[in-house]
Amino acid sequence: MGENKPDILQGTLDLMVLKTLEAMGPLHGYGIARRIEQVSGETIMLNQGTIYPALLRLEQRGWIKAEWGKSETNRRARFYTLTRTGKSRIAEETRNWERVAATMALFLASE
Amino acid sequence: MDLVRSLLSRMVAMFQRRRLDASLDEELRVHIDLAIEEQMRRGVPEAEARRLALREFGGVTQVRETYREQRGLPLIEQIRRDIRYGIFQLWKSPGFALTAILTLALGVGANTTVFSMINGLLLRPLPVPESDRLAVVGMQFGAPNPNYSFPEPLFRAFERRHGAFSTTFAFNHTTFQVKSGASTENIQGQYVSGGFFDALRTVPMLGRTLNAQDDRKGGDSAGFAAVISETLWENRYHRDPAILGQRIVIDNVAFTIVGVMPRSFFGADPLQRPQFFVPLADEEVLAGERSLVKFGHRAWWLNVMGRLAPGATLEQASKEVGAAEGAVLREAVQDADWIKRTEQERHIRFFAEPGSTGFTYIRLNFRKPLMAVFAMCGGILLLACMNLASLLMARGTARQKELATRMALGATRRRLIQQLMIEGLLLGVTGTIAGLALAPAVSHLLVAVLLSGHQQAHLDTSLDWRVFAFASATAVLATLLFALVPAIKATSRNLMERMKDGQNATRTIDRSGILPRVLMGAEVGVALLLVVGAGLIATSLVRLYHDGMGFDPRGLENIEFSMENSGLKGDALMSFYREMGQRLSHAPGVTSVSYELMTPLIGYQWDEDYNDTRGAVHDTFMNSVAPAYFSTMRIPLLAGRDFTWDDTPSVGKKLILNQTAAGQLFPDGPALGRTIRHEERKKLEVYEVVGIVGDAKYADIHSVAPPTGYVPMPQNDFVQSASFVAVVRTNGSTGSLMGTARAITAQMAPQVPVPEVTSMEKIIDDAMGPERMMTLLAVFFAVCALVVTAIGLYGTLAYATARRTTEIGIRMALGAKRSQVVAMVFGQNLWVVMGGTVVGLAAALLVTRALASFLFSTSAHDPWVIAASICALGLAACAASLLPALRAARIEPMAAIRCE
Repeated sequence: MGENKPDILQGTLDLMVLKTLEAMGPLHGYGIARRIEQVSGETIMLNQGTIYPALLRLEQRGWIKAEWGKSETNRRARFYTLTRTGKSRIAEETRNWERVAATMALFLASE
Repeated sequence: MDLVRSLLSRMVAMFQRRRLDASLDEELRVHIDLAIEEQMRRGVPEAEARRLALREFGGVTQVRETYREQRGLPLIEQIRRDIRYGIFQLWKSPGFALTAILTLALGVGANTTVFSMINGLLLRPLPVPESDRLAVVGMQFGAPNPNYSFPEPLFRAFERRHGAFSTTFAFNHTTFQVKSGASTENIQGQYVSGGFFDALRTVPMLGRTLNAQDDRKGGDSAGFAAVISETLWENRYHRDPAILGQRIVIDNVAFTIVGVMPRSFFGADPLQRPQFFVPLADEEVLAGERSLVKFGHRAWWLNVMGRLAPGATLEQASKEVGAAEGAVLREAVQDADWIKRTEQERHIRFFAEPGSTGFTYIRLNFRKPLMAVFAMCGGILLLACMNLASLLMARGTARQKELATRMALGATRRRLIQQLMIEGLLLGVTGTIAGLALAPAVSHLLVAVLLSGHQQAHLDTSLDWRVFAFASATAVLATLLFALVPAIKATSRNLMERMKDGQNATRTIDRSGILPRVLMGAEVGVALLLVVGAGLIATSLVRLYHDGMGFDPRGLENIEFSMENSGLKGDALMSFYREMGQRLSHAPGVTSVSYELMTPLIGYQWDEDYNDTRGAVHDTFMNSVAPAYFSTMRIPLLAGRDFTWDDTPSVGKKLILNQTAAGQLFPDGPALGRTIRHEERKKLEVYEVVGIVGDAKYADIHSVAPPTGYVPMPQNDFVQSASFVAVVRTNGSTGSLMGTARAITAQMAPQVPVPEVTSMEKIIDDAMGPERMMTLLAVFFAVCALVVTAIGLYGTLAYATARRTTEIGIRMALGAKRSQVVAMVFGQNLWVVMGGTVVGLAAALLVTRALASFLFSTSAHDPWVIAASICALGLAACAASLLPALRAARIEPMAAIRCE
């Protein structure tokens, strides 16, 4: 992977994408990648390209859908939107992630 | 849910690859452009902005790959690529591909053909509702083979019982004479009992089926009822919608048509296509004097089946009929002596067996030969697979460089094996398709041979799901067999090492060549086994033909007259036959004419018990014949005299015995001129033996000639029949015989139907139907085996020799003569063939014993057959080695070495 950027967990990236779309509404791939970088600041650096397989994965599950449209700079781009299933999945995915995070925290604390 | 969804979208994606690829590329391009724009807005120069954007993005190609993998079904895409590559690879070596496909087509085709016959004859269920609830009732009755013929009273006793069977029914296939205008026509029909249609549950197209009311003496109140087939309705009545209620005159009795059965319905015998059905009870009226119902428990002629009652199992049914035998016999038969003898001597026992496929006699005769042939087919397939395996192995060796290159480029061994297997599968699929395309034509041919003795029979060998399933299973299995080992072998060892070796001139013995040679050796062994088996079967058939029927069948014709309805009897009948014989003997090409009651070898038999001079009882086969019978048949008259027309009832009973009967009945001295006593209808008759003749075969061609007695035609009061068969000796030109016989009968007895002419050779051919089929197939498969093996030997040797070009060049440069090179190359196959022969011989000695039951006066270890088989195989091997050897001899030493 990238030289100095740590890889991120698959589930993490999926959830980040879902949260981003929930907060920002329809957005293209670049927008999503930039938003994730901005929100996470310098703590998580991602290869922007890796969001595309993640986007496809979510699309295949029917959680998001994509459409070609015009960007703010009047460019043709593919915009991603949350579907109804996607919206309802966010809560559950969040709970899942919190459980994992809590477990990890317990492990780290036990040391 | 999510899983199904993504699988679905992945599958959809596979069909839109190009469009989706373009879409992704555009999306990624937009992404990077947007990133560049953003950097440039911050004041970064364009070149630097692009560099940064690409760094931020990561590897574009990698993302695209991951994305694609995520999008489609990677394994399937890979397989698709492999298939395309495989086709290309095979296209590049058409000779190899063609050989492989042909070999396989032969193997799969042969198997599918024979299987489709087995399917049609043994496996296909009757096209009636819930055919799996049907059962066949049979019995053990003295002989080791089960018997499936029942006398009418015995069946009626079954019919009245209710228990595990809800209905039992009986049927018999017969040729009837149906009046149509002025002439009579022979049409196939069936006697069926009242429960027949009820048990087979097929809805008629028109009207109704026959029921228990119809199956009573005298028929229903409305008269005799008949149900006709759609075919008859179409051919004879042109689909007349007002067919019901019309009359059809069968054997001079008028029947009312009450229903029409659809074409798909043919009753319970899968090999028959009856044109109409009449109630069993009407047999007495139709057959008159010859009525088998009237013969009661002495006539064994009905096939009995039943439908299981709801909830009942076949085991229950079998147990039930098995336990009821005493009661059934007593209920059916009044003759207490007969019951006692039957129970004591013949140990009768009834049983029920699965009947979903109906019942046909042909099955009994052909099951064993078909299975033997099927085993032979399996051998051919095995051979084809071994052949392909060794070819593929040789090819794998030749493709080392390619495989090594691919491995160096990062392909895993699994991937290479997958690739090679897919190539194998391609061959397998193509070969199977070719084989399937051939199968129907071949099975038509086989069916024609199989059923040559049963003109009316009909065997459906069309391809159905069972045949397809079988062919696919065969193809997959074959592919695994022939492709896996070579694939594993070709990718084993360190390929890189081997690539460096290249054509190695110093290594004379190629270790990788041992396995193909062992395989070829085994193939030779299997081929030898098949050839020996075929040789034995063929030898047996030839011996059966030549070892004497006891009479000379060549140029012998049988003319069958149906005189039952002529009204002639006694002296009038005899003078009619005498006159007819005289006219026939004047016909062109005819040298002598006589008559017989029982035609030899068509399976009918008539036997009587005679006491010998010491009082012991002997079962003796009987025939009633006219004067000049023995000279016409060319059965030698050993002592005494022939019959004359003066041997009438008034001069005292005369008898001619064959040698075996004479020896059996007169163990104490010559039989000629002595008398013998025989009880007929409670009356003691005394017979004078007036002649001794040679032994001749009687009903069964496979058993030795039985003890036989002949009574003169005018004195026959055993069998009530007015119909005799004329035996005509001709000098070969029989073309006009049919016409002559027809003209003579038309003149002398216009009321009797047209006589049927059958040559004795045809009867013998028919009697040997199973043997002829087996022989034909066995010889065919043996030739296939030889060809396949020769192809295999040629293929492997050609590869091996090609790879040794350099070595051979060096040998020649060092002074080896061309003849030595030829000998060396030849020798390679020689060792393989010799090894294979030894193994095959050992196997043959063990396995051919299973053939013993098919063989007639031929030992399963006949040395001549074995020797001839080895010679044939040797010749095939020599032919296969010739070309590679000659090619090796033509190698130019300098050119070969320079190549290295």
